[in-house]
Amino acid sequence: MPYASIVVPAFNASATLPDTLLSLRSQTFRDMEIVVVDDGSTDETAALVTQLAREDGRIRLVSQGNRGLAGARNSGIHAALGEIVGFCDADDLWMPEKLAAHVEHLARAPHVGLSYSGSALINDAGDRIGHAQRPRLRRVRARHVLTRNPVGNGSAPVLRRAALEALRYRPHYETERDWVFDETFRQSEDIECWLRLCVTTDWSLEGVPGLLTEYRLSAGGLSARTEAQLASWERMVEKLRPEAPALFAAHEEAARAYQLRYLARRAITGGDGAAAQDYLRRAFACSSRPLFEEPLRTGVTAAAALLIARFGTAPLDMARSLRRL
Amino acid sequence: MPLPLVLHLIDDTTPGGVMRVIDFLTTSPAMSAFARHQVMRVSRGAALPACRADVIVSHLTVNWRALPRLIAFRARHAHLPLVHVEHSYTESFTAQNVPGKGRFFALLRTAYALFDRVVAVSDAQGDWLRSRGLVRASALRVISSTVDLSGFHALPAPRGRARVIGGIGRLHRQKGFDVLINAFRALPGAELELHLYGEGPEKAALQALAGDDPRIFFAGHTDDPETAMRAVDVVAMPSRWEAFGLVALETRAAGRRLICAQVDGLRDSGDGGLFVRGHRTEDWTAALLATLASAPPPRLAPGADSAAADWQAMIAELNCAEAAAA
Repeated sequence: MPYASIVVPAFNASATLPDTLLSLRSQTFRDMEIVVVDDGSTDETAALVTQLAREDGRIRLVSQGNRGLAGARNSGIHAALGEIVGFCDADDLWMPEKLAAHVEHLARAPHVGLSYSGSALINDAGDRIGHAQRPRLRRVRARHVLTRNPVGNGSAPVLRRAALEALRYRPHYETERDWVFDETFRQSEDIECWLRLCVTTDWSLEGVPGLLTEYRLSAGGLSARTEAQLASWERMVEKLRPEAPALFAAHEEAARAYQLRYLARRAITGGDGAAAQDYLRRAFACSSRPLFEEPLRTGVTAAAALLIARFGTAPLDMARSLRRL
Repeated sequence: MPLPLVLHLIDDTTPGGVMRVIDFLTTSPAMSAFARHQVMRVSRGAALPACRADVIVSHLTVNWRALPRLIAFRARHAHLPLVHVEHSYTESFTAQNVPGKGRFFALLRTAYALFDRVVAVSDAQGDWLRSRGLVRASALRVISSTVDLSGFHALPAPRGRARVIGGIGRLHRQKGFDVLINAFRALPGAELELHLYGEGPEKAALQALAGDDPRIFFAGHTDDPETAMRAVDVVAMPSRWEAFGLVALETRAAGRRLICAQVDGLRDSGDGGLFVRGHRTEDWTAALLATLASAPPPRLAPGADSAAADWQAMIAELNCAEAAAA
């Protein structure tokens, strides 16, 4: 039995999946399987995986009707055989030493149930765009997960099987298999799961150094769904607040402010300065903690929002082209 | 040969479930049949005294500040069998209250290693102590807590449609009565009542939550737990952590309907109860509705627990080992 499983949820991913799978097959830690869950794709995803599985016996294909990201991950977990289970979305990449780093970390720290790393952001062409997620790695508390989500993205974490077991449950209407991720969420399913791990189990979260994931920031779909994103985040808060009332009483408003600041940054990337300013106003109405805890990042966000609202995206484009030089 | 002397150390005498369990251990006829029991109250800040006994049982709170005292106590009583009963810590306690979990586990491993035996008060707590590697397997014993249940067995069975829901315990966020009040307020039915028995730091917040719902009553603390049980048809325990569910045991002895959160020791609360995962209002409202409509479960048979026999076996084992060593 492989020691590690990597679950790859894939929906119409034939354009990016070959690179993703290549990055996983190139892991220096080799005692592993790759479980690709074809989540009802209508493109070549299944054929592509079947072809690659012939080349590399560590690749397996699980097919299902479309259930969404959480549902695909749950099916992958159900099929996975490893003692530890990692996740990599079908458009992201793992650096070759990533799995080895998490295997070593989880062996060394028995209280850690979820090990993650920082991520470098890449664009549609697969080039690093100069931004990175460099989260807090040690002494990670529930309040950090609520306010800043250090796990960062769905391709960063590797979990111990026992931690997945602690998260596992089955809604009464589910007939096929258990859930780890809550499939009623279409967004915020990651943070809901990590925070649930924090407040309902005794497992810790910790990171390993390095930018070991390449996380794709797609140009499409950035600006449109921000309100839906906020709504799903609020639903996550509604769901978990009764589990840990003291945590939410102390940190919910700050977490909301950070969430709104994040949406402001997305609006800036999408070129909508007015929306960005509106999100920032709402953020500060909740809490000024982002300003005190991360003055530089919050200040830059506010300045960028102002500039774009005044002058459009020209200054930002210019800054970008300067950086490319 | 005189009966062995078992000395119980306690540092918290707040009235409540744990004190009643300790009272049972030290005064019940079943426990007195095989040992003489003495209770010594020690203060939380000071050093532990030198003691004379055949076995010493700690019901003390383990924390970093107490650790040096425990080590000194072990050193002073190097040849005496020491037992620790863990009344508090569980998986969900850790999840909810411990920011630095790795550090906390290091504390527990260090403290438990000082004892010849560590007693878990429920199967679920025992599984946690074992799977987390907090207690070595040879030292771990699971002995479910118990109290004298005869008063609960003697209560008349609830009759007719269930109407009164009870929450029994300290008004502290541990007990999750905020969840119960919210869930109850969403229930239709003017004839329904929710009675909360207990005092605690959350009282004002819970009263605010109850608002102007005339069906919710705060009955305060009662010294006689049978009185509370007599008044209710359903007992709800939405606890956020619970090493052992004493109220659940009493509920079953009294033949009342039971709803429990699926956490820690409450998971061992028998087949008759309804178990709810999580603390969401709508889930608890649905559970209350289902339970109100259900028939009362069969009563727990009297004398079903083996706590006294388990204690007797453990004390005998420790005394034999000590005699062999001497």
